[in-house]
Amino acid sequence: MEILITIVSISGIATLLAILIVLADKFLNNYGQCNISINNGDKTFVIQGGQNLLSSLAEQKIYIPSACGGKATCGLCKVKVVDGAGPLLPTEEPFLTEQEKLDGVRLSCQVKIKRDISILIPEEYFSIKQYKATVMKINDMTHDIKEFSFRLDEPTTIDFKAGQYMQIETKPYGKIKEKAIRAYSISSSPSDKNHIELIVRRVQGGICTTYMHDYLNVGDQVILTGPQGDFYRRDDSESYIFMAGGSGLAPIKSIIMDIVEKGLDKEMYFFFGAVTKKDLYYIDYFTQLEKDYPKFHYIPALSGPLPEDDWKGDVGLVTNVMLQHIKDGSEMHAYLCGSPGMINACIKVLTGVSFREDKIFYDKF
Amino acid sequence: MRQSPALQQIQNNMAPGAYTAHGFLGDDQRNLIDIIKSDEQLVAKLGVTHKQIASKMKEMTKMGIKTPDVPVIVQGKYEVLVDDHRGFIPCPFADNVKEIKRNTQVRNLASNDIVYWSDLNIHMIEQHGFYEGNGSIFRNDPTTLFSVLGLSSKKNL
Repeated sequence: MEILITIVSISGIATLLAILIVLADKFLNNYGQCNISINNGDKTFVIQGGQNLLSSLAEQKIYIPSACGGKATCGLCKVKVVDGAGPLLPTEEPFLTEQEKLDGVRLSCQVKIKRDISILIPEEYFSIKQYKATVMKINDMTHDIKEFSFRLDEPTTIDFKAGQYMQIETKPYGKIKEKAIRAYSISSSPSDKNHIELIVRRVQGGICTTYMHDYLNVGDQVILTGPQGDFYRRDDSESYIFMAGGSGLAPIKSIIMDIVEKGLDKEMYFFFGAVTKKDLYYIDYFTQLEKDYPKFHYIPALSGPLPEDDWKGDVGLVTNVMLQHIKDGSEMHAYLCGSPGMINACIKVLTGVSFREDKIFYDKF
Repeated sequence: MRQSPALQQIQNNMAPGAYTAHGFLGDDQRNLIDIIKSDEQLVAKLGVTHKQIASKMKEMTKMGIKTPDVPVIVQGKYEVLVDDHRGFIPCPFADNVKEIKRNTQVRNLASNDIVYWSDLNIHMIEQHGFYEGNGSIFRNDPTTLFSVLGLSSKKNL
């Protein structure tokens, strides 16, 4: 009985202290107004202290790339803090190299503004905008992949580089009371400036993919933020290989469409890995493109075709199939999009056939 | 059992929508501390440790990674299928660990029973002794893992 009383007493005191700390932080930690200086004073804002840097900048319509919406799980929202950040948090450590730590790089979602702060960010971040958009079409591409087409309502036009991504905000649904933000690669061509298409594969238990697959309907309004990301085509090569699986087809399709529409004279090999025929999509589109554009080669590969698939194409892991077609990648660029497992396997194989590591491009989320 | 505010905060992280759509607790109404303690007792009764269970899960996942999305037969006893997705998921225990979104399905060829876990499940079992709450889609009862993965009890050695 005495032990039970002790446990309950300690728990009660701890709970009381926790409540007091929360209340004290809310009412006593008034940081007042703080200045944010960007790029040596090129832009300055006054904000109410106490918020994190990522959301403070978003309030000023400066959107730092982020794929997780500020949960410190993607590590993309890095900014260089010249002055005014507190100590590095354990939540930031896994995402920063030793050099970045020395250079004052921080995750903006983890930096709480308590005093004036001075930061450096790339100029291209100023072109990231928030869009109100309407869902125009939802297509089932495979059993677990959907394609979403959005009309941009405000602003009505967008400029992006093929391969970049957009963030989408979910609304509360089911038992989920808060909005979430996730990033998806754009699959449409940059030439269509009034629409955006995203290809989304359902993730078991995924907050945003569940929302998009089960709750988002034609006519719904959403908030999109972008364009973001440095996964886009570099021009200093005459030949490219593209490797993708699942929804990784999205940015590759955008890049290929862009090259074709611009009439660029580039040799292109597109390896798409899937398990069975039911996991393939956009087959007719790329097959036709191959006929129309002699320098484009479409190589879908199935790793586990079923007898009923009657598959006559390449069989095996996409990495092995690539090796049958490409013997020397020293002059080529490689663009990869898929799961981390696929990306890692591709990098290993590509470097084995002389692809330069700095010429292998992929999104790091 | 009453639990510390720190554990309560972790339990909040496990609610639907915090880290995953369905959360980690399913329809389990117990406090996190009670879920962990109850599974701790089960594991002890089985005569194994969380680390041994996690180690076997890791071994299966490692075998499946070699052929992503394609089932592979392991040791002639198990069919292992691993798939992964873009992105990372943080551990709700706020230990600054983030795991890639990779799932492993193991079918015991003799019994035909199936278990299914994520890389995060392996971490939570190994480091926190947490198998998720009853009714959670990624809940793996220690007894089920023990039997499907053919683990041996120390008691029988």
